[in-house]
Amino acid sequence: MKKTIFALSLVALLAAAPAVAQVDFTNYVALGDSMTAGFASASMMDWYQDRSYPAVLARQAGASTFEQPYISEPGIGPIYELVSLAPQPVIQPVGLAPGMPYNYEYPYPYNNLGIPTATLYDMIFQTGDLTNLEQGNFDTVFFDIVLRNGINTALEFAIGAQPTFLTVWIGSNDVLSAVLAATPIDGITMTPVDFFAGLYNNAVGALSTNTTADIVLINIPYATQTPFATSLDPFVDIPGAGRVYLMADTGPLTDGDLVTLGGGALIAQGYGLPGGPPLPDNLNIITGEPGVVLREAEVEMINDHIDGLNAAIDQTASAFGYPVFDINALFADIVSGEFVPLYGGVTLSADFLLGGIFSYDGIHPQRIGYALIADELIQFINAEYGAEIPRVDMAEVLFEGDWQSPGVSPAKAKQTIMSAEAFQRLYDLFPPKLDQAPRIRRPSADRPEFTGRDMRVKPATRP
Amino acid sequence: MIAKNRGRVLLVATMVLVAPALCWGSGFALFEVGGRQAGMAGTMVAVGDDLSTLFWNPAGTAFQTDQGIQLMFGTTLIQPEQTIYGSSPYPGEGYQADQVSQTFFPVHVFLGIPVNDRLEVSFAFYNPFGLGTEWEDDFLGNFISKKADLMVFDLGVSMAYQLSEDFAFGIGVDYMVAEIELTRNIGLINPYDQRLTNVAEASLKGEGVNSAWAWNAGILWKMGGGFSFGASYRSEFTINGGGKADFTQIPTGYADFDGLLSTFFPFDGKVPIEASIAFPDFWNVGLAWQNEKWTISGQYGVMGWSAYESLPIIFPENPEFSSIREENWDDAAQWRIGVEFRASQHWDLRLGYLEDETPQPAAGMSPLLADGDRVSNMVGLGYHTDRFRFDIAYEKVEIDTRSTEGQSPDGFDGTWEGQSPLLHMSITLKF
Repeated sequence: MKKTIFALSLVALLAAAPAVAQVDFTNYVALGDSMTAGFASASMMDWYQDRSYPAVLARQAGASTFEQPYISEPGIGPIYELVSLAPQPVIQPVGLAPGMPYNYEYPYPYNNLGIPTATLYDMIFQTGDLTNLEQGNFDTVFFDIVLRNGINTALEFAIGAQPTFLTVWIGSNDVLSAVLAATPIDGITMTPVDFFAGLYNNAVGALSTNTTADIVLINIPYATQTPFATSLDPFVDIPGAGRVYLMADTGPLTDGDLVTLGGGALIAQGYGLPGGPPLPDNLNIITGEPGVVLREAEVEMINDHIDGLNAAIDQTASAFGYPVFDINALFADIVSGEFVPLYGGVTLSADFLLGGIFSYDGIHPQRIGYALIADELIQFINAEYGAEIPRVDMAEVLFEGDWQSPGVSPAKAKQTIMSAEAFQRLYDLFPPKLDQAPRIRRPSADRPEFTGRDMRVKPATRP
Repeated sequence: MIAKNRGRVLLVATMVLVAPALCWGSGFALFEVGGRQAGMAGTMVAVGDDLSTLFWNPAGTAFQTDQGIQLMFGTTLIQPEQTIYGSSPYPGEGYQADQVSQTFFPVHVFLGIPVNDRLEVSFAFYNPFGLGTEWEDDFLGNFISKKADLMVFDLGVSMAYQLSEDFAFGIGVDYMVAEIELTRNIGLINPYDQRLTNVAEASLKGEGVNSAWAWNAGILWKMGGGFSFGASYRSEFTINGGGKADFTQIPTGYADFDGLLSTFFPFDGKVPIEASIAFPDFWNVGLAWQNEKWTISGQYGVMGWSAYESLPIIFPENPEFSSIREENWDDAAQWRIGVEFRASQHWDLRLGYLEDETPQPAAGMSPLLADGDRVSNMVGLGYHTDRFRFDIAYEKVEIDTRSTEGQSPDGFDGTWEGQSPLLHMSITLKF
């Protein structure tokens, strides 16, 4: 009798056990910022958009459609190029007119709703209108290109699309200005953690309430560990004089301090060197001029802030039962060497120019880096959902050339790592909001109240 | 900044240099020491009645003193075939590549000289270990191994003494000399086009005499009723050798990138290297039965590949390239059974069967050597007169199809498939 009861119980248990979960990529939507858009080398351009991590993921998962707001070459930006490597690397924007959007007539919300420069607040509340572009207004160019109708936000579009699968990677721009301006100021260059936590909870709550999608949340990597912040030493080696630490307007640099790529052009002009003017350490609140030195304590402050934002993401994920892809740990492990991406005996690293992962802006990945992210994300999704999405063919990625055969342009630019022009363009794209504390873009007055119930019907839904 | 990256580039280069030598496997061991023994799957430990016993059991020659001075020599033609079926992320699903077709011919020469009717002194020259792999120029694993050649020569002297009519022992010393050459490409991401690019070819080649001493011993007991029992042991040894590394630059088309690389790599000359390779011990026990027409022999052996724990390669003048990689191979067992049928006064027919376990962890398979459990079937034929014999055997080795299971330490995953035909031949002259 006991055996019978045991057997029946076992059968009942087996029957109750959930089948191996699968993920449905019939309608995959990616919410996020520049990292989701496939932004690379300070540009949003179709070649890289096609190699963005959501596009790669969609292809690998067999999604029949994955529409993106394509921008023709050389993108907006336009894209950076490496014009020479020695004696000093020189990076500058290609000398071409910016590209133009060409998929703007697509009648449904894009699958890729990644908007370069978007903060979490922007993802929820910011709209975009193509007519702005037509009138020559580039202030909110990426919002205008991605969102188009002047009515809906990225979050609303995502809900309206009723996705079957959704990734959300947002928050990098809630702290990036602190690195670009080399000045962490809570509420100015960094979104306050409490404010972020509340918004994040609301955004994910809206997605949870108003869609049936499987959702993967992606946290925020340490921007302080990107080549933009780590490539330059706080000292120079002067023949005959030995190691000389650079001088900033707040005092000499020490080991542990970081000089951003924005400082390269200044050092080439003699800033920070003996007898030269000091490097600007911090953001000038009055003029908006960025600093180029991240002191060790500032690095800690930024990292602590990112930890706080990531804790908020974890907390929300836990509350709604969504998995978090820990890309912060992935990049940290690559930087520390704990994880060495290795393909056929060839290693990749987080090093600038030679590492193979990051693009010329030192912040965003290039196509190999995005493919690496997609491949790691696929393994994560497969593990979380019991899916069998094939991994990325990295041989194809590694041996594929860049978007052009660049050749080496005449090296007339300044002998520096990132030209001043290149840095200024990058900084202009991701500026600190000095006139707003905390950084909040108010929704337009005529935009209807943000509610979950209404969102599903506003944007046209794909058939 | 570039200087800051230098360490990383050197790390890349070091891994590129070291990885190939990590993957020697049971295929690295050779048992090709005679046409007769091959036809019987090498089951000579308890038989020991020709000079191939100098490899399998040195005690065997003590029972051959009545044969006079013997000289045995021959070779084995080996044509290994190997195919990789790739998986993602690298080299990718659907990728397939075959090894370049090559023929190897390890040799064996044995000389047995009876001192009296109980004692025989013998000399041996053969290849107990060897490896050769080569891939096409467009092979996606060329950053791991493009071409590898390894051969170990054993120059041995041994003596065997017959303690009684039924029991003998043998001991010997071996002077092992290794020759090795490894070639591979070095790949880096070209910062201009962000494409994986061949920037150099690295070749590591042993120089001078890289050698070590080893020893062997065995017993052979004829138990009566046609039964005999044998046991043998060959010691492990470690070759600490030196050589030179040669880096040849491959122009990328970007002059300043090439110039930068020339500051990382010593393109202007050969640089010395030092390496240390541990070779396994090998013990065997066997039981045989014989009558006038038949010999039936079985044998069990274990190669102590667990001695191969790591591979250090040291660049004394370029310490930034030096590295030690963990291997952690396992001991590997093998079963053999062989039969000989003496069909007539001059002709013998033989059959053999071998199961040989691989010592190599699945994850360690690479373009240098992707090993798996092996099964061999042999058939042999012998012709002999009082003073001459010729033996030939054909062997077909099938290697288990085996996957790296996504764990390749070289980042080269897939399923490996291999096989090899072998043709063993030897001639024995008696004086």
